[in-house]
Amino acid sequence: MTKTSKYGNGAKGPGAPIHTGADKRVELDELISHVEDGNTVAVGGGLSSREPMAVLRALIRKGVKDLNVVGSAHGIDIDMLCAGGCVSESSESYVGFEQDFGMAPNYRRACESGEVKVNDSCCYTVVQQLRATILGLPFMPVRSIRGTSVFDMHPEYKTMTCPYTGEELALVPAVQPDVAVIHAQYGDAHGNLRIEGPPVADILFAKASKKVIASVEEIVSNERLHELGGANIPYFYVTALSEVPMGAHPTACYPFYAYDREHTKDYYQLAKQGADAFKAGYLDPFVHGCGTHEAYLEKIGGEETARHLGSWKDGDEAWMALYGDEGVPA
Amino acid sequence: MSAQATLGETMIAAIARTIEDGTICFHGFGSPLVQLALHVAKRTHAPDLVLVAGATYGINPEPPFLTPTSNDWAMDRRAEISLDIEELFDLAAAGRMDRMFLSGLQIDKYGSCNVTRLGANELKLKLPGGGGGCNLSCDVGNMTLWTAAHRSAPNDQGKRRYRLVEQCDFVTNLGHRTRDGRRPAELGHRGGGPDYLVTDLGVFDFDSDGHMRLVSLYPDTSVEDVMENTQFEPRLAEEVTTIPLPEPEVVALIRRLDPLKIHQRELQPADRSRGFG
Repeated sequence: MTKTSKYGNGAKGPGAPIHTGADKRVELDELISHVEDGNTVAVGGGLSSREPMAVLRALIRKGVKDLNVVGSAHGIDIDMLCAGGCVSESSESYVGFEQDFGMAPNYRRACESGEVKVNDSCCYTVVQQLRATILGLPFMPVRSIRGTSVFDMHPEYKTMTCPYTGEELALVPAVQPDVAVIHAQYGDAHGNLRIEGPPVADILFAKASKKVIASVEEIVSNERLHELGGANIPYFYVTALSEVPMGAHPTACYPFYAYDREHTKDYYQLAKQGADAFKAGYLDPFVHGCGTHEAYLEKIGGEETARHLGSWKDGDEAWMALYGDEGVPA
Repeated sequence: MSAQATLGETMIAAIARTIEDGTICFHGFGSPLVQLALHVAKRTHAPDLVLVAGATYGINPEPPFLTPTSNDWAMDRRAEISLDIEELFDLAAAGRMDRMFLSGLQIDKYGSCNVTRLGANELKLKLPGGGGGCNLSCDVGNMTLWTAAHRSAPNDQGKRRYRLVEQCDFVTNLGHRTRDGRRPAELGHRGGGPDYLVTDLGVFDFDSDGHMRLVSLYPDTSVEDVMENTQFEPRLAEEVTTIPLPEPEVVALIRRLDPLKIHQRELQPADRSRGFG
């Protein structure tokens, strides 16, 4: 249950709602009901790590449309959402597969066809825009970006003369995502989340967004969460959560599993062949054809795949073996 | 391999030489040559380097091996401590980040980079985007630029898609001039701009106009190679020297740090067999 502050009724009030329910555990289908067509969505994780892929697959299956995605450095998550027809605007800082595979084919197609409005941001600009929301301010200043084409691309960015020093500064408006979608290693029933390893922008997303929906590898007791080292996202930001083991696959969610490079390579090669090949070879079998996350897990090889990707723990040689299959690509 | 060093190893050593001891340097993501250069610098001439890893924001990690993607726990192994995203960029905004490493599908004669889009008016090719490069290019003390794709062979129609261009279609990362010719200092930016560019054909610095200037070549490249593969006419240093090859210990270190040879993925296929010495 979502209770709003004494000042108003949530979205219309001065601040975003707080989420005080005692037990926020829901099934994946209910979790994604918080994302609506046209929402501004902050996808958590970054590059090949801790992307909330199971939630994104469920959103594609549901046919969510016209999302504006905001964030820092992303890859397969945004690329797949673009292929699924869910995105109409991208305000990400980066969408690609780094030196591993290169450009993101579905994202490129969607941008170049005009289906997705290109509204690229940059990491610190996004950080400042989220912080403005977190601080309850309408904007934040940044010294950088003036004089670049990124500044020219955004009519909402302004400049001002500092009343104290006389310097010119850029101003970037507050960004308040409708929903942050986060995959964490652990959470408790109340919604406290524990992210292990680099949080990327997730903690900022959680504090700035109206709603936070989370998938976690394991739901544990609050006591156990403390034993593990404590939560880093307080429960009252979190609207609902689901236990979704392997929910970040094919991205990594250490310590449970490493990046599934093999799967990502197949994904990339199909995406590169074109929209039809990608739909037939990837979206149909792995997203639309798997009505549940359990069906997806079975499709990717079940326990055996989980064990394989967990073998990074067996030592550096085993870890390297996950990535060292084919040497240098042509 | 009988050569003393490969092209990749020589580029890594050249990038490493741009790093001063006792500074804070940040490597971004998707940049194996640069990641290795920072680890080489830290383990050779710059032991007091504050090495900030891209994507994980770990400080002074000791990765067991270089991974194909940057946000991997292997890259964060034994990091002394980790920054969060806001702390990293705050350091730069406050003028405390000494060096960053940036590249682009287009790099212009003043060192601006385009990683956003080809086509100045109509979108012809959407590139992945610049991450935090746009902010950092304005804020960071200096930048080392690099590209492993300076050589731009002509296509069937004899047309080249230059990596080093007269002017970027889109300035994602600011060099020494804006598209309308202003200098970053006039805008009040704190950063000193790019001071080096390391490519597969040579090493450049930037003169007092902020214009790119060829300072050294590989044993197998010539001024003509550089001219032919560059859209503008690069200026030449008074004496164009030969890029020093990495010491055998440095080559051994690179091979130990990158047993999967991830850095070779940055090189063009024909360049993967280049070696010197």
